[in-house]
Amino acid sequence: MKDWRKKSLSSFSWLMLVFLYLPIAILILYSFNEARINAVWSGFTFKWYVNLFGNRQVQEALFNSLWVALCSSVLATVLGTAASLAMKHYSLRWQNIINGLIYLPIVIPDIMMGLSLLILFSMAQFELGKTTLILAHTTFSIPFVMVIISARLADMGKELEEAAQDLGATAWNTIRYVTLPLITPGIVAAFLMAFTLSLDDFIISFFVAGPNSTTLPLYIYGMVKRGVSPEVNALSALMIACTVILVIVAEFLQRKDSKTVI
Amino acid sequence: MKRLKSMLTGAMAAVLALTAAGCSSSSEGEKQVLNIYSWADNFAPEVIEQFEQQYNVKVNYDVYGSNEEMLAKIQAGASGYDLIQPSDYMVATMIELGLLEELNKENIPNLKNIVSTFETPPFDPGNKYSIVYTWGITGIAYNKNYVKEPPTSWSDLWKDEYKDRVILLNDPREVLGMALIKNGYSNSTTNPEELEKAFQDLKTLVPNVIAFDTDNIKQKMIAEEAWIGTVWSGDAAYIYAENQNVDYVIPKEGATIWADTLAIPKGAKNKELAEKFINFLFEPEVSVKNYEAIGYSNPNEAAYPLHSEEYRSNKMIFLDPADIARAEWLVDVGDMLQEYDRYWTELKSGR
Repeated sequence: MKDWRKKSLSSFSWLMLVFLYLPIAILILYSFNEARINAVWSGFTFKWYVNLFGNRQVQEALFNSLWVALCSSVLATVLGTAASLAMKHYSLRWQNIINGLIYLPIVIPDIMMGLSLLILFSMAQFELGKTTLILAHTTFSIPFVMVIISARLADMGKELEEAAQDLGATAWNTIRYVTLPLITPGIVAAFLMAFTLSLDDFIISFFVAGPNSTTLPLYIYGMVKRGVSPEVNALSALMIACTVILVIVAEFLQRKDSKTVI
Repeated sequence: MKRLKSMLTGAMAAVLALTAAGCSSSSEGEKQVLNIYSWADNFAPEVIEQFEQQYNVKVNYDVYGSNEEMLAKIQAGASGYDLIQPSDYMVATMIELGLLEELNKENIPNLKNIVSTFETPPFDPGNKYSIVYTWGITGIAYNKNYVKEPPTSWSDLWKDEYKDRVILLNDPREVLGMALIKNGYSNSTTNPEELEKAFQDLKTLVPNVIAFDTDNIKQKMIAEEAWIGTVWSGDAAYIYAENQNVDYVIPKEGATIWADTLAIPKGAKNKELAEKFINFLFEPEVSVKNYEAIGYSNPNEAAYPLHSEEYRSNKMIFLDPADIARAEWLVDVGDMLQEYDRYWTELKSGR
């Protein structure tokens, strides 16, 4: 009886995994397909990957994606960390409401966020381009950064900081020599999270991108309208690989972090 | 730990400085920049590079997936683009909304090279705002293995033997337009009775239809899932390159012709450079290189003798002038569009 239950449970989990990953596996598989069209399998090849790297538009999109991701995640990490520290150390008047407002963007539909940013930028006569993309990505990344850093700060407690201050450390020194070193793994994890989010974003970028700021997801979308070619598959496969690696690194850092402190 | 932290602070400071620098110097020195907003893969990369070198400029090429997306971006203002590629009907809409700049023909002397059909398209007679760039005709593509008798008329799609084998474009104006042409009416009729008749006729075609699909029509024809269907001439050429059993014909009743154009959005900063680029694209040698790479029909008459034999003999790209003469543009139908959409919904939900 027990055996039967265990078996059916494990086969159910496998089914779930297949359900989740089969489409992605097929997408990656067909990026190695010799034929120009996805309909038939006609042999194994790396040529689509080679083509990709010779394509100037792909190179530009890749550069744009990385640049925007780097700038926005650095900005979001700096701002988000500072805000988390402030929220921890000062109790503001409507703390709960402010907390809620900060995390709200996580659940606001992307399309609303994109549209509102587009309206804001065009009302302010702000020319669309990489700068608007970086600003928009920073905006939606900050709440995620704050979630991670705040959790880290809450885990840390107040004792160590209080002890440092008892021993005569100034406020700045406390932050510098006690708080920041303790939350550094959290900061790195938050940075990687923001980087991944920026790299993967389509909807918000779609609204606020301008000349010379086509990112990889925007480029893939444009290509699909001309028919799904194996190049699209190859590009998507590369993006999935990057994302997975970044997420694993972020997760690893967070784990390691909670082990060493507690 | 201390080391790690100071490294991090250093890295962040460096990146912040870079960000600031990157934001302020995005104009890339004194080089003039041409910002193109277009469909993906719509120019041969070496043609853009040649233009950059010849004129010492930088070209930025961004892509969109539909006319409506492009319209939304331009309408929002402050888009910063100098050259866009609206399709025929969108040119009419954008002219009406005052979103296009009038072209200065003095900067585009090569305009004289264009085929005369495209000098007076109904959406912009006289090429005041737009110039046809890529174009094609929606005809019948069919697989010779299954369709033994070459079709000559739209009514061949209705044959019983093609049950579940006919593929149609996923577009109300194209499909209803096809049925209208079949029945001898204009593809842009505003007469409700004619439209009703075309709809009733289409309803009897539905049992034959395997899919209404624009994005995957090429795949379905290549994989031989679909035997026969309404296909753009450029797509037919693409299909033929992958599956030589597929042939293409423009039915005797006539067909719908479409075009993507070159146009300049209102308020473009580098209007003159955009006009220079348009002129450059219509240089015969340049256009030969460009169109053979992207695989579309060239509207540049002066380039015809320079094209390769292979390109010239491809009847899906080098369409017969008689076929072009029979083809009809889709024009704005005003409020009747709602009727088209209503019939379309009914047709697709009735499957």
